[in-house]
Amino acid sequence: MEVYINALSCISHHNTIDDDFFFEDIPSIPTSNSLQVTAPVYKDYIPANTIRRTSHILKMGISAGLMCLRKTGKEQTDAIVVGTAMGCFEDTDKFLRSIGDNNESMLTPTSFIQSTHNTVAGQLALLTKCHGYNFTYVHQNLSFEYALLDAMLLLKDGEAETVLVGGVDELIPPLFELFDRAGHIKKTENNNEPIWKSKSKGFIAGEGSAFFSIGNKSTDSSIAKIKGVKAIQKLNTEGELSDHCTAFLNELNLKKEDISLVLNGASGDSEKDKRILNFTDTLNLPTAYFKHLCGEYFTSSGFALWLATNILKKQRVPDSIIPTKFSGALKNILIVNHYQDQHYSFICVSAC
Amino acid sequence: MEVQEVIKNLKSQIIEQLNLEEVKPENIDANAPLFGDGLGLDSIDALELIVLLEKNYGVKIKDPKEAKAIFASVQTMADYVVANSK
Amino acid sequence: MSTRVHITGIGIISAIGNNIEETFLSLSECKTGIGKINHLSTIHKNDFLVGEVKQSNEELSKIAGVKNYNRTTLLGLIAAKEALQNSGIKNIKEARTGFISSTTVAGMCHSELLYKDFFENKTNENFIDSHFSGVSTDDIAGIIGIDEYVTTISTACSSAANAVMLGARLIKNNILDRVVVGGVDALSKFTLNGFNTLMILDTEWCKPFDENRKGLNLGEGAAFLVLESDEQVKKSNKKSLALVTGYGNANDAFHQTASSVEGYGAFLAMQAALKVASISHQKIDYINAHGTGTPNNDSSEGIAMQTIFENKVPKFSSTKAYTGHTLAAAAAIEAVISILSMQNNMIFPCLNRSAQMHELTSSPVSVIEKNVNLEHVMSNSFGFGGNCSSLIFSKN
Repeated sequence: MEVYINALSCISHHNTIDDDFFFEDIPSIPTSNSLQVTAPVYKDYIPANTIRRTSHILKMGISAGLMCLRKTGKEQTDAIVVGTAMGCFEDTDKFLRSIGDNNESMLTPTSFIQSTHNTVAGQLALLTKCHGYNFTYVHQNLSFEYALLDAMLLLKDGEAETVLVGGVDELIPPLFELFDRAGHIKKTENNNEPIWKSKSKGFIAGEGSAFFSIGNKSTDSSIAKIKGVKAIQKLNTEGELSDHCTAFLNELNLKKEDISLVLNGASGDSEKDKRILNFTDTLNLPTAYFKHLCGEYFTSSGFALWLATNILKKQRVPDSIIPTKFSGALKNILIVNHYQDQHYSFICVSAC
Repeated sequence: MEVQEVIKNLKSQIIEQLNLEEVKPENIDANAPLFGDGLGLDSIDALELIVLLEKNYGVKIKDPKEAKAIFASVQTMADYVVANSK
Repeated sequence: MSTRVHITGIGIISAIGNNIEETFLSLSECKTGIGKINHLSTIHKNDFLVGEVKQSNEELSKIAGVKNYNRTTLLGLIAAKEALQNSGIKNIKEARTGFISSTTVAGMCHSELLYKDFFENKTNENFIDSHFSGVSTDDIAGIIGIDEYVTTISTACSSAANAVMLGARLIKNNILDRVVVGGVDALSKFTLNGFNTLMILDTEWCKPFDENRKGLNLGEGAAFLVLESDEQVKKSNKKSLALVTGYGNANDAFHQTASSVEGYGAFLAMQAALKVASISHQKIDYINAHGTGTPNNDSSEGIAMQTIFENKVPKFSSTKAYTGHTLAAAAAIEAVISILSMQNNMIFPCLNRSAQMHELTSSPVSVIEKNVNLEHVMSNSFGFGGNCSSLIFSKN
């Protein structure tokens, strides 16, 4: 069943909190191997008494969620579903360090209390007094996809008329260090090609928060529609990604030729991106990229969906995301994403 | 330990521990309620203050139910510290 | 959406037993599994009682038949394998099969041992690839051979109830034919110290629904249930253990950790579950309560039950004094215990309870009851972030 995106918001490395921002004059090579967010004025969204104890991810998640809700013109939503793979890592790190530094004594509760993965969803419910359905998915690179699938199921079953659904993950120094020492991060000296032409291993790390208010009916404010989402746990054979794509498009009554643009989640890791780059090559459709804008993180599909929706709304593709300038109408966008050659996903979003 | 000295120290320690960025020590009335009205602290802050007292003054509150009376104001906190620290 | 949701298999490991048989034996003898900390390395070893699984990681590895996995994955694998075996599933790929697990701290039991040394550069042993929540789910799903629909939920102490709820919805919507649902959490310094900072741990055996209760005992474990559609059950010619007939999730929206005085979120969740089950509250024969033993939860939950059941609360008890509070696994462990109750016509009582709570007119079952017919059983689980879930199981 199709669902409608009626409002959306995104906090990312670039100025995506501005609705008019559209990646003009953005370099195709990211400026660093770690892309932190450009934050809104958090106290415009989060009450002072809450903000004083909220960590980075909570600020990002809560404000993007409230920003999105504000745009709907309504104060409430029927349900809240969030995807976050790493949860509240800053709070987790704080508490773990104090356990180690103080030998398990004189520990303070705030960072523990806020370390549970469902704190973003819980705080959104608290601040909007939303007593409805409230779920958090924490399945690595498919966290946002499963949040979206659940939200769509709620709408299909009539359990909700509107759902606030989002994906958020943070990048803080200890996490960067963990990824770096595991060999996952691209060395700065190798960061010299656009990600779709990368010849070196490692990804550009990122973070962000994207939220959507989705409904089961088309309204005047509907911006785009999500036609389908597919989460792929495992690929067993070489050609399986193509097979999944064909099956996915068939389910949506679409042919390959109906896809106006592919948004490819290559991360800049020449080794791990081989399959996703080959796949979009064989599709032979106009292909754009997004991880040089937002960096690699487990819920980057949220950013991709935000970007795709805005592309459909504005009916143009920013030059900075596509090797060959795009021209023509934009009807259906296929987002294909992965993390380190695992947990592939498809999201198909269409113009209203 | 002098009560006035403790009151002075507690004010800046509370601001730091609870991250009350917009509040200055001179704005806190030692006799004003800390919870509900006044500074508007809540039960999570109460737990933080229990740790603050132990860490900075060696004073342990074993039962969280006692905390309500002890944390009524900065004055009552200081009185408790002076009465109970070794 | 005409199919019913059958429970065809269960699997469980906790402080009271490594499998269904041992678990039932402990329950029917009213024997707690809570005791002194044995395996967890912590300065608080002598301060708190916990519901620890008796085996070391090496011993669990032998039981699970695998090597080099952390305690969380081992516990989950043991329970998931038992559930599949109990369900009689031989060929996992013969139907559209999913796996929905849940956890609060996942690989923390391993990460926390290395954390300080890693950041002080005393070790290069990196835990980043085993730390995150979805990893143990991936590992377990990979071993048992499920790759069609695999996901992980984390909503604190209601997590596994939400896994059951999602599984049921997927079957009713004909997205899956069958799904293994549940949760797992292992004890960790992180959670033990965390709950200690909240001052809600009891240093003695917890007393759910007792006037003088002081707090909870932490526990660890895992449990999974196999849910199948009508058609799938017919195809495989098997008998279901029970049906999942009702489920509901609501948010208290009151406080990050505390429940509202009147237990509004709990009330809404129970109301939603009854609506889905299409039964009136009078049909509930027994409630397996969340009943952690904290002053706040038991009061809030008790009042919510009195409200929804219009002061005629059915028989209820908390089984957390047997297993401890197993966090994400709790709802699945208690779902399995509820099924065992229904199958054996028994209600396992609250342990350690003697004094009536002043704010409640109802009292929990405090002595084991046998030969009770339980047609409909409700199981409740409430977590941080105001997350409240209620499940209803019914005899087929």
